[in-house]
Amino acid sequence: MQPDGTGDESSAMTPLDPAHAAVLRIRFGLVAAAAILVALVAMSQRALAALPVPAWLLPAIVLAAGLVATLIVPVRRYRAWGYREGEDEIEIRRGRLIRVRTIVPFGRVQHIDVALGPIQRMFGLGTLILHTAGTQGASVPLPGLRVADAEQMRDRIRAKIRQDLV
Amino acid sequence: MSAPAPEGKRLHPASLIVRWLKLVPQMLAGGIGLAASASHEGIRRFILFAMVAALAGALFALISWWRFRYTIGPGEIAIEKGVIKRQRRVIPFDRVQDVAIERGLIARLFGTARVRIETGGAAKDEGELDMVALGDAHALRDRVRLGARAETAEMATPAAEPVLFALDVPRLLLSGLFGFSLVFLAAIGAVVQQLDQFDLVDWDQWFTAERAEAASHLVTLQIVLILGVLIVLAGMVGGVVRTVLRDFGFRLTRTEAGLRRRRGLFTLSEVVIPLRRTQAALIDSGLIGRAFGWYRLSFQTLGADRKEGGVQIAAPLARMDEILLILAEAGFSAPPPRDAFRGGPRRALLRWAAPWLALALAAAVGAWLFDLRAAIAAIAFVLLGLAAMLHWRVHCHSADTDALYVSRGLLKRRLAILPYEKTQIIAVSRGPLQRGLALASIAVDTAGAPPMRGIRLVHLDSGEADAGADRLHAAFLAARAALKAGGGRG
Repeated sequence: MQPDGTGDESSAMTPLDPAHAAVLRIRFGLVAAAAILVALVAMSQRALAALPVPAWLLPAIVLAAGLVATLIVPVRRYRAWGYREGEDEIEIRRGRLIRVRTIVPFGRVQHIDVALGPIQRMFGLGTLILHTAGTQGASVPLPGLRVADAEQMRDRIRAKIRQDLV
Repeated sequence: MSAPAPEGKRLHPASLIVRWLKLVPQMLAGGIGLAASASHEGIRRFILFAMVAALAGALFALISWWRFRYTIGPGEIAIEKGVIKRQRRVIPFDRVQDVAIERGLIARLFGTARVRIETGGAAKDEGELDMVALGDAHALRDRVRLGARAETAEMATPAAEPVLFALDVPRLLLSGLFGFSLVFLAAIGAVVQQLDQFDLVDWDQWFTAERAEAASHLVTLQIVLILGVLIVLAGMVGGVVRTVLRDFGFRLTRTEAGLRRRRGLFTLSEVVIPLRRTQAALIDSGLIGRAFGWYRLSFQTLGADRKEGGVQIAAPLARMDEILLILAEAGFSAPPPRDAFRGGPRRALLRWAAPWLALALAAAVGAWLFDLRAAIAAIAFVLLGLAAMLHWRVHCHSADTDALYVSRGLLKRRLAILPYEKTQIIAVSRGPLQRGLALASIAVDTAGAPPMRGIRLVHLDSGEADAGADRLHAAFLAARAALKAGGGRG
């Protein structure tokens, strides 16, 4: 069997800004907190008391899942990301369970967004989104870039598109 | 070229009648609900409501007809509409990808047509002129086709266009047989459900235990067989009727800008498949049709009819040599011979079968622990797993200097021809099981690809998939560079 071909090559890839892991952590933490709150409310409901399991089980499971989601998942997700800006294309790797390597030719980019989410803004990060005319996964996001980097990248790609049109 | 009238044109007056006819049933449906809710005065209320609805509908149709105008300017068409909220839409001719002319039965009675101007945008009814006089429709189409280019060479009559493909009556009927359809059984089911809903037929009373008991004596093997044969016959007739209605007089001709398709028995439709906007060619075949050498050719286009998911049929039932002729005319390269195609490695068989085998295992455990009948499911899953392994044999691809060719599907097979310059995004993906087996899939996104049926090369060797993706990208760049050098733009 041949080597995997994913893990080792990513050394050539630029990693995202490390603060992206923190953004993910806060994002997942908020969702987890909300889920725990819902579970606690559910625990106090009469209907659940009829079940043959202790009432604290549900919040406990949710808490455990929430801890995993906030402590372990963000770092792993962050590490799965990487990109390489080439002469005519950008290559983006992402995904932990299903690993995807996407090649977006600059000549196919229809328009570019730089999106700044509320949590991202606290860390000075942004997401570069490349839109193409395709139908499946036609918009390719690249999160976890410093805002200035994202904007520079956008301008570079835009310049290349313009060149392509001439 | 005469100057366009500044105030614009209205639609053909006949559209008033059609619009009214379309509106009334909608209103009646509400009326039926209203009438049903009042049990005693039901009928009288219903009639009253129907009259009010008819009147209101007529009024509404009249006002919206009055407020609808279209103006053909030098380089654009402007459409103004809206009763309360006015809307003015301007479509520049050089953004128009397709002008479709469709003539329903009523439209033919009045000598009118529906014109649909497609721009490839997201809006569903961008530039629909429902019912203009047929002459106006053709004039409009010619104006738009000529578009920004101010040439009049294409004024030649449609009859002069070379015919690339035509469906004669025997072949039309054959095509109908392949289009086996039980759609009208579904229609009967829907009608029955409606009757049930309005309490016109009460199934609980009609379908009693005694009747079921009495009926069960009547059910013999012969009757079941006869019923089966009847259903199959019904499906065949249904398929033939549907196909004849849709594809009667099917003709594909070559125009300057693309392929013109005309078809229809009652509703005549005319569509131009613009070659510049064609993204991929698809050759489909069913199990039986393929055995007799029949194929269907369609083109995936950018600005196509949204109902068909951007895919336009160019030849519903054709021999391979006829398809190759159309492909050549459309600027697509012919698929390479069979032995030029390659598939995934042998270990991919495991990945193909794995999901089904996992299910079979689960069912087997279920059979062992709970209910022996689950064993039937387990056997079925194993068979499905074996069928999935056949996919491994069938799913293959080839690449030459111009295009990528991907064949897929066990019973319904589709060969997709993708010219390199039409590639949008290339993605290589690896699931957990694929990583274990050192496999990967390539997805090539194209504009206007039907949802869930895009071009994918699944379960290839991991290293080959990466190299293949890079080669595809390089081929895309080369094809684009060649296009640019040639002055065209893809």
